[in-house]
Amino acid sequence: MIITYLRRIEWFVALVLIQVLVLNNVHIAGYATPFIYIYMILKMSSGTSRSELILWAFSIGLLVDIFSDTPGMNAAAATFIAFIRPVFLRLFTQRDSTDEFIPAIKTIGASSFIKYVVVCVLFHHAALLMIESFSLLDLNVLLIKIGASSLLTVLCIMGIEGFKK
Amino acid sequence: MRNLLNFLIKYNYWFLFILLEVTSFTLLFRFNHYQKSSFFTSSNVAAGEIYKLKGSVTSYFFLKDANEDLLDRNMLLEQQITNLRKELQERGVDSLDVDSIKDRAINDLHVIKANVINNSLTKADNYLTLDKGSDAGIHSEMGVIDRNGVVGIVYMTTPKYSVVLSMLNTKSRIGCKILGSGYFGTLRWEGSDSRYAYLNDLPRHAKFSLGDTLVTSGYSDVFPAGVMVGTIDHIGNSKDGLSYQLKIRIATDFGKLSSVRVLPKSNPMERRLLEEMANKQQ
Repeated sequence: MIITYLRRIEWFVALVLIQVLVLNNVHIAGYATPFIYIYMILKMSSGTSRSELILWAFSIGLLVDIFSDTPGMNAAAATFIAFIRPVFLRLFTQRDSTDEFIPAIKTIGASSFIKYVVVCVLFHHAALLMIESFSLLDLNVLLIKIGASSLLTVLCIMGIEGFKK
Repeated sequence: MRNLLNFLIKYNYWFLFILLEVTSFTLLFRFNHYQKSSFFTSSNVAAGEIYKLKGSVTSYFFLKDANEDLLDRNMLLEQQITNLRKELQERGVDSLDVDSIKDRAINDLHVIKANVINNSLTKADNYLTLDKGSDAGIHSEMGVIDRNGVVGIVYMTTPKYSVVLSMLNTKSRIGCKILGSGYFGTLRWEGSDSRYAYLNDLPRHAKFSLGDTLVTSGYSDVFPAGVMVGTIDHIGNSKDGLSYQLKIRIATDFGKLSSVRVLPKSNPMERRLLEEMANKQQ
């Protein structure tokens, strides 16, 4: 139990540092910025209670916000994604058993895992970038930003997954 | 009653979700108005320390460029000094007077040097973090420049750090005039490209041409008159067609900011008193 929490905190600190020190400075072609910190929310065990999930997401979002002077934006988007994650997880896994599992290629299969990651990342980025621009005036730019950033984040998440094996 | 309690317990995550979202949005909106909420920004102690560490590493990457810029500038200033000295000698001014000018220049300007430890370019509202704060004499609404031109205006400070409203921020407004002709307008940044900003409200009869230099107007006490801002890159029309809208190439390279100078204010109290008096008389 304690070990799970320690590992979680390790990931928490590492992801926040990677996000604010490295990835916040990445803007490929002025559009694509990966937001890797949601990896932590995606990889929480399926048995985690919703309240716990939401609290972790809020705190990691708020910490990223504090560092990047965007108070509330990342926190709001991360809380939102933690709130709807269980729905997507149920949608993309066909297992009937109620035992706990951590979402990964090994546990739920490659195609469902990729679908799950892509949908979650898309929703998160859409929420975050819409809050940031706070208007739908430049809809094209907004859509390009969401698409490009999501692609980059998914690639990064798959990279970490491959690297961890 | 029991059903109600069961319902509340079962769906407690709904309330948590709504509570946290409300908290987030309160933070988001309060940041725009309430200037003392610096705890939730990168000017708090922990975030400041980490960014200082990062800044001390990354500042080495731009040393060569900075050095070359400084050498160029040094050469230019030396040339100017020799020219001015020659001019003064031709007019027969006593050398003691020349020396006293130098002293006066030093006394007048309590410029504060600071290093940029965090910076962003591509958000809709960009802010910078400096490694000096109110302990070093920095207060909000002071102007910030670097060796090439205007950078922004101090937004909020803690004892050790300060957050600067970058020129690349939709909230930024800088009063500028065209060097030579003296026509003035407000410089705004409209998002997307960190190299360009737009000068609005320039009257139709103003005369200028592509490549003209834009400097601060000095009408506010944030920047003195004549600080370099940029050059005219494209001439367009405003949305209502009543005035020009100029595309300005910003002189400051926000991509490699490292050391900046914070400008002190010149007698803000006196000026404000005068303006209040004028308002009362109306």
